[in-house]
Amino acid sequence: MKKIKEWFGFFLLKASAILILGIVVLLLLFIGIQGAKVINLEFLFSFPKEGMTSGGIFPAVFGTVALTLITTFFSIPFGIGAAIYLSEYAKEGRLVSFIRASIRNLAGVPSIVYGLFGVALFVQSLNLGASILASGLTLGLLTLPWVIAVSEEAIKSVPKSFREGALALGATKWQTTRLVLRYATPGILTGAILGLSRAAGETAPILFTGVCFWLPKLPGSIFDQFMALPYHLYILSTQHYDLEKVRPIAFGTAFVLVSFVFGLNLIALIIRTRLRKDYG
Amino acid sequence: MDKITTEDLSLYYGEKRVISSINLSILENNITAIIGPSGCGKSSFLRCLNRMNDLILNSRLTGKIFLDGKDIHGNNTDVVEIRRKVGMVFQKPNPFPKSIYDNVAYGLRIKGIKKTSQVSEIVEKSLVASGLFKEVKDELHKSAMELSGGQQQRLCIARALAIEPEVLLMDEPCSALDPASTFKIEDLMSELKKSYTIIIVTHNMQQAARVSDWTGFLYLGELIEFNETSKLFTAPREQLTENYITGRFG
Ligand SMILES: Nc1ncnc2c1ncn2[C@@H]1O[C@H](COP(=O)(O)OP(=O)(O)OP(=O)(O)O)[C@@H](O)[C@H]1O
Ligand SMILES: [Mg+2]
Repeated sequence: MKKIKEWFGFFLLKASAILILGIVVLLLLFIGIQGAKVINLEFLFSFPKEGMTSGGIFPAVFGTVALTLITTFFSIPFGIGAAIYLSEYAKEGRLVSFIRASIRNLAGVPSIVYGLFGVALFVQSLNLGASILASGLTLGLLTLPWVIAVSEEAIKSVPKSFREGALALGATKWQTTRLVLRYATPGILTGAILGLSRAAGETAPILFTGVCFWLPKLPGSIFDQFMALPYHLYILSTQHYDLEKVRPIAFGTAFVLVSFVFGLNLIALIIRTRLRKDYG
Repeated sequence: MDKITTEDLSLYYGEKRVISSINLSILENNITAIIGPSGCGKSSFLRCLNRMNDLILNSRLTGKIFLDGKDIHGNNTDVVEIRRKVGMVFQKPNPFPKSIYDNVAYGLRIKGIKKTSQVSEIVEKSLVASGLFKEVKDELHKSAMELSGGQQQRLCIARALAIEPEVLLMDEPCSALDPASTFKIEDLMSELKKSYTIIIVTHNMQQAARVSDWTGFLYLGELIEFNETSKLFTAPREQLTENYITGRFG
């Protein structure tokens, strides 16, 4: 009887794992097969032509990569900094609990709300205009709560005995924090990159803050507008005057976007296994 | 010479008192053993002496502790300085997930000793002292996590010795060791006592009797008896002590 129960339990777990895997594979196959028809170097590295009905998606690829970099520069340092402060230096109390609760809540705010907030703060109040910088900052805000939460989690999961070991050897608070951070790094990086990969696929926050449907040239500075893969895909699949004709290009764009996100996740995975190995 | 003195030392975790007004003097260059049943506060007491309980948020300490006559909770006492002088080997081995070499070198590096030749020399010396060197000399750059439990404990001892503390607190250092390594550590302690003051917590009464000069018996947070080891084990003054060392409880 116990055996059967155990077998059944495992069966359920296995079945759900296979189901999820199946859905992912199906999705990828679908996008892959459709996208593969149009993807080649030419597609990746040339501008759209004839009202987007032919040509490539280079400006959108460039825009998304640049945007993700700006997001990274903003959210990673501030996110990790805030996590270090919260977990190591802040005195536990009402204020800190309140800050923590706010961060959790912020992580659940819909991305379109970040978009509106970005317009109000970066585009208008800070006068950055609709620009890749404003969009990057908005996406940075969007990922910040996530980066803070995963970093704090990673820092907390470092065993207390390391901390004690270092302090007992006469390490100062900062030296101990640095040691703890080394062990938290795989967790922090993995979490942060996953957050970034999510941000890279967002449309709503960049919609009002700087993304453009069509630009004849690449952004020359961080104050210029830009094109981006998710928005390009959105236009091609719902807003274009000849939806049927651009459908293959839309699939190609989807494929590139998904590959970019997967690439980021893969980097996270590699970092994690590499560093875990060092830490035994 | 008294190295450490405690005056009316009590420790609370929240409302619970785990150390009750302990008055104790630890002699320099002596080995002092702390014995007592599980949960009686041995580790907690030891952790008071290098202010390790500062980390535990709901802990509260009353009374005084003096190191060389200086209050370790005094206003102008630097806790980092205290911990450099009062080294600690924990109950569970806690090597850093670094190489064997880097584990021992860590304390030196954070102290600002960076010269490679000097660091290597001290690392080797410390590993020799803790009896680990022979086993690992060809693989100093292997991860410490790959060592056995007993080897890890000796690594932690080497790590503590490297920064040359004046006092060494050892919390059941042999609980993960086989008899052979246990004897090695005991020999080491007798050797170290020339230059260090050692306080060891142990569950093993033969060990306390073998290595220590003084023994204190803790029971429910109170220091029931403190005396020269030879006297405490042969002619205990208190009934509780006698019950404990004859194995009638604990
Ligand atoms: N961080 C903590 N918070 C609350 N209570 C604690 C904490 N650490 C220890 N205690 C309690 O304090 C008492 C003394 O614990 P301590 O670890 O000092 O015992 P011990 O004598 O070292 O025992 P053992 O021989 O099993 O290691 C125990 O009742 C324990 O439950
Ligand atoms: Mg203990």
